[in-house]
This record gives sequence, structure tokens and C-alpha cells, in this order.
Amino acid sequence: MKKEDTVKLISAEGFEFVIDKEAAMVSQTIRNMLTSPGSFAETQDGKVTFPEISTTILEKICQYFYWSLQYARGKETDFHIEPELTLELMMAANYLHT
Amino acid sequence: MMEIENQTELVRLCLEAAGESRESIEKWRRQRRSLERLPAHLADSLLRHLIRRRLLFPSLLEVFKRSVEVINLRGENYVDGEWLAYLGAFRYLRSLNLAYCHKISSSAIWPLAGMISLKELDISRCVKVTDAGIKHLLSIPTLEKLCLSETGVTENGVELLSSLKNLSVLDLGGLPVTDPVLSSLQVLTKLQYLDLWGSKISNEGACVLEMFPRLSFLNLAWTSVTKLPKMLSLECLNLSNCTIDSILEPNEEKAPLVKLSLSGTTFVNEAEAFLHIETSFLSFLDVSNSSFNSFCFLPEMKALEHLDLSSSIMRDDTIEKVVCMGANLRNLNLSNTRISSAGVGVLAGHLPNLEILSLSGTQIDDVAMSYISMMTSLKAIDLSNTDIKGFIRQVGAETDLVLSLTALQSLNHLERLNLEETQVRDAALSPLSNFQELQHFSLRSPSLTDTSLHPLSSLSKLTHLSICDAVLTDYGLGSFRPPETLKLLDLRGCWLLSEDSIMLFCKRNPQIEVRHERRSVAPSDQVGPNRPSLSRISLRASQMNKKPEQLPLSVCFIDQRLKYSREELLELQYSTLSLELPHDNDDQEVMRLE
Repeated sequence: MKKEDTVKLISAEGFEFVIDKEAAMVSQTIRNMLTSPGSFAETQDGKVTFPEISTTILEKICQYFYWSLQYARGKETDFHIEPELTLELMMAANYLHT
Repeated sequence: MMEIENQTELVRLCLEAAGESRESIEKWRRQRRSLERLPAHLADSLLRHLIRRRLLFPSLLEVFKRSVEVINLRGENYVDGEWLAYLGAFRYLRSLNLAYCHKISSSAIWPLAGMISLKELDISRCVKVTDAGIKHLLSIPTLEKLCLSETGVTENGVELLSSLKNLSVLDLGGLPVTDPVLSSLQVLTKLQYLDLWGSKISNEGACVLEMFPRLSFLNLAWTSVTKLPKMLSLECLNLSNCTIDSILEPNEEKAPLVKLSLSGTTFVNEAEAFLHIETSFLSFLDVSNSSFNSFCFLPEMKALEHLDLSSSIMRDDTIEKVVCMGANLRNLNLSNTRISSAGVGVLAGHLPNLEILSLSGTQIDDVAMSYISMMTSLKAIDLSNTDIKGFIRQVGAETDLVLSLTALQSLNHLERLNLEETQVRDAALSPLSNFQELQHFSLRSPSLTDTSLHPLSSLSKLTHLSICDAVLTDYGLGSFRPPETLKLLDLRGCWLLSEDSIMLFCKRNPQIEVRHERRSVAPSDQVGPNRPSLSRISLRASQMNKKPEQLPLSVCFIDQRLKYSREELLELQYSTLSLELPHDNDDQEVMRLE
């Protein structure tokens, strides 16, 4: 995997998730950060930090990105969300516009 | 209002997971810190989702008290004082709708006292809320919108509202508001919307209306008001079922009315009815059931888009007036007027933008079809309850029949067509297969058979189909290939269909909702399924006997009589399954041209 095809998402606790750029772009917010010309530091080094999103939630978000890509390609499976994660995940999804 | 559907995909999935069951709620309801951080629009969505899933209970409300801004409990009639005890603690609640919550009483709304975050409150139809309840609301000076229609509030309670100085919307429909009380509300100078239908207001009280400088919406339906003062900001006015002398006082400046409802209104002097109104901005006019005779005011109304003339005395010789004004008209209702095909002929070619036309219950026949086909923007046509047969006999050649529905093929935008209670038979329906934009289609006649289904299979955009009271057989339904787009099939009154064949059809076409008396429904929806069939039939027989006396002889009556011959009635006696008369109103609602 080439470095420019991936992006590093960093949780509040400092955990790093390296995922495909294509998957990360499922989030409208991240897409804007990565594609808007020059204005974000994120555009250059491919690193985005989310001080408000915990590791558990960010992991779930990354799983969702990949699920969403597969779903769009016609693989119809359910995306299971544990009820105890719903509130925090909802807020993160709202922030990431996904 | 943001609905769950408007949320992004993952937010929607989270809302569904959170409101999956009581157990899933227990998993998150103690996450106090998260709940307090929820943005208001997410909290509102979550609460709305729980209400819709019937999972909300009073003590659960507590977790939302620092986040939710909008709550709509309209029609949730289990809501009682306990709910309001919790709602009273909501810090940021801006809008609360409790309409039709019958358990809500004056004492129940006490917890709302002093909630200065509240701007909108709807307690319409809460009949137990009385003047005592109004006293609790007086401590909420922030209220901008208050709906009290059909509550137990008296004139004394309404008088108290004068201290709520920020009110801009006030619905007092059905309350006994008197002239002196209305006068006391003059201090509410921010009022823009005032509903006073069914009140005790007379001309004396109506004079006061001049004092509301921003009033743009006024409803005085069912009052004894006969004249109105000048109101320069007025845009929407409803004077339905009043007897009117003059709508507004003579004045140099005229109110720029946009919407005017005069349904069932009687005018003392028809010629002067619209004298003091600036009618050139009017886009909506309802004069259904009114006493107008000459309609000489119509040509002036050049901006009119929506005109309801139903059940008025509009005739072929006055329809000319509609032509004069016609170019902007989009929606024209001529149902139950004295219009015939000749009248439709006068309109033909003059209504280039007409999208919705109702001619239900008029004397038109098949000749009208070719005139209708000249209204090229039509999207919806209601021809129910007419003498339309679907064919025209060519003069001279007795055997040569021209199918009149063919004329409508040229209407490229036609989405809805209602041919219920007409004389149209199977053979006349064949041109339908070319109506490629048709989405809603309805028929109701005991003369239709399986053959009527044939042209419908090829309608590639059809979503709603209703064929009621027809003689469809199990075989016919079994061999019917519905268009893939079909969502609803109404077969009520098709008495020959068996439960098995309907079940089979539903199984084959799970995406289609089928309506029929023999379609098994949830027990709660069934009304007396075990009633003896004998009484049901005798009831129907007695209805048939009465009908000619109550109603003018209609197509409907003839159909019903044809539908059940003596032998059939005797057979039906032994039928164990219920066979309800179709509910006319429900069906019309499905296909109402709106």
C-alpha cells in the first residue's frame, strides 16, 4: 500500500488507525479536509487527529467506512451497533458527517 | 423540523440501534455525560424516534432534560400529568406539541409554569384544559405561539392572554371569544396569525381587528361577522360559512390578499363582494358551496392558481368567466357543479397551465374527453360519478365505436386518473395501456371484470391502483401481472375473490399492500368479525331500500342494485366471511385529486 493512498486517523487517547483514503472519504468532513486545497495541515501529511473521539468509537467509525464501501458495491449485510455505543457514535457520525 | 430520514446514514443507524428495544435503551440511559453533550438536533431526533417506536415512558424523559429543544407528542393520547412533571424540568425546551392528548388537564400543565425557554405550545383539543390552566401559562412571557382551539377555556381565560405580549400566533378556534374579550387582546400588537373560527365575535368585535398592525392570517369561519374593517397587512382570510355584507371597508389602499376561503359563504350583495379587495395578487380562492350566481369577479383575478368552485351554481353559461382569468390556473375544482361537456368545451385551449381538474359529479359525458385532452399540462383528472362510458357512437355508422379514453393519450403528464362510479366497461379501458406516466388509477363499478386488468400490466409507473366493487375472479387476479412499481392495490368490494387467492397474490407480490375485506388483518383492526352475516345483509338491503328517498338517483344506487341480485343475496346469507360495504370516503381519500 502506497503512503499517499492511506490516511492516519488519531483518537483522543493517541491511538493511530491507518486506513485507505477511499474509506476515509466516506466521511464528508474528512473528505473536505483532505481535498480542500492547502488550507489544512491534514492535506499534506495525511494525518487527522480527533481529540473528541475515543479509541473505541474511532475503531467503530473505521469499521463503518469499510462496511459502507462494501454496501455501496452491493454486499448487503447489516452493520451491527452495540446499544452502549450509540450515543457517542451518533455524535461522532454527526461531526464527521457520515 | 429535521426528521430521522434527513440524518446522515450512520446517525440513522445509531438512532435505530438506540431505539431497538427496552433492553437497548437500558444500555445507554445511564451514560449521563454523553446525554448531556448530545447536540439538540440529535437529542430531538432520538426522542422522536423513541416516541414513534412507543418506547418512551415518563421517567426516561429525565435523561433528555438538558438537551432536547423540540417535542411533538401530538395525538399520543397516553400522555398524562406524569409526563409533564418531567417535561417541566427541561432546561432548553422551545416547542411543545400536546394537541389531542386528552388526558392533559389544567393541573397537568402546572409544571410548565415559568418555563421561559418555551416559545411554542400547542394544547389544541385538550378538552380538560380550562381557565385554571391558562393561569399557569401566564408565567411564560416568552410564548410566541399558542394554540388553544377546542379546549375547555372560556372567555375569561382568553382575556388573561393579553399579558402574553410576545404572541404572534394565537389559535382560539372553537372557543367562546366575545367582542369585549377580543377588544382586550388589542395590546397583542405582534399578532400575525389569529384564528377565531366558531367564536362569538360580531361586527362590533371585528372592528378591533384593525388595531393589529401585523395581522396577516385571519380565520372568522362560522361567526356572525358580516363586515370587516380595513386590514392592510392581511394575506390569508377565511370567512367560510359566514353571511357577508362587505369584506373590507372602502379604503384607498387595499389589502394584498393571497388566499381567500369563502366556502359556504352567503353574500348580501354579490356584485360588491370583492369591491374593496385587491384581487390581482390572489392565488387561492375557495368559493365552494357559495351563493355566487354570476361570478363576475373572476376575470379580475389574473394571478389565481387554485380555484375551488365545487358545489357552487357554476353553469355552462357562466364558465366563460373562468376562461377570462385562466392563464395562471393550476388547480380547478368543478365537482358537483352544473357544468356539462359543452362547458368543458368552453374551457378547452384556454387553460395552458392547468395541472389538476375535477369534474366529479357533473353532467359531462364522453364528448368532454376531447376537450380535456386540449389542457396539455394536466397531471390529475377526476371524472368520477359521471356518465362517461368510454366510447362514442359515430353518427351514421351504428357499429363503429370510438374509444373516448384514447383522446387522453396526448396528455403526456397525466399521473392520476379517477374513473370511479362511471359507465366505463372493460372494453373501453384498452387505450389505458398507453398512459405511460400514470401513477394513480381508480375504478369502481360492478360491471368490470377480469378483462379490465389486462391493459394495466403495461403501465410502467403505476403505484396506486384501485378496482373496487368489480366482478374480479380468483383466476383473473392469479393471472394479473402487476407493474413492478405498484405499491397499493385496493380491491375492496370485489366480492368474488377468495381469501386464498388474495393470500397467494400477496405472497407473490410482497411489495404490494392489498386492501380487501377478506385480507387477514391484525385482530385489533377487525371490526366485529363474528357478527352473524344475516344481519349484515339485511342491513345492506335496508340501506338499498332507503337510498332512492334520501339521494337523487345516482349511478351509485343503480350499481349497488345491480351488484346484488336476489339470488346472490340469498347465497351471501350462508357466507361465513365478512363482506363489508366499501367505505366510500376512505376510497375517495386514496384517489383524491390533491
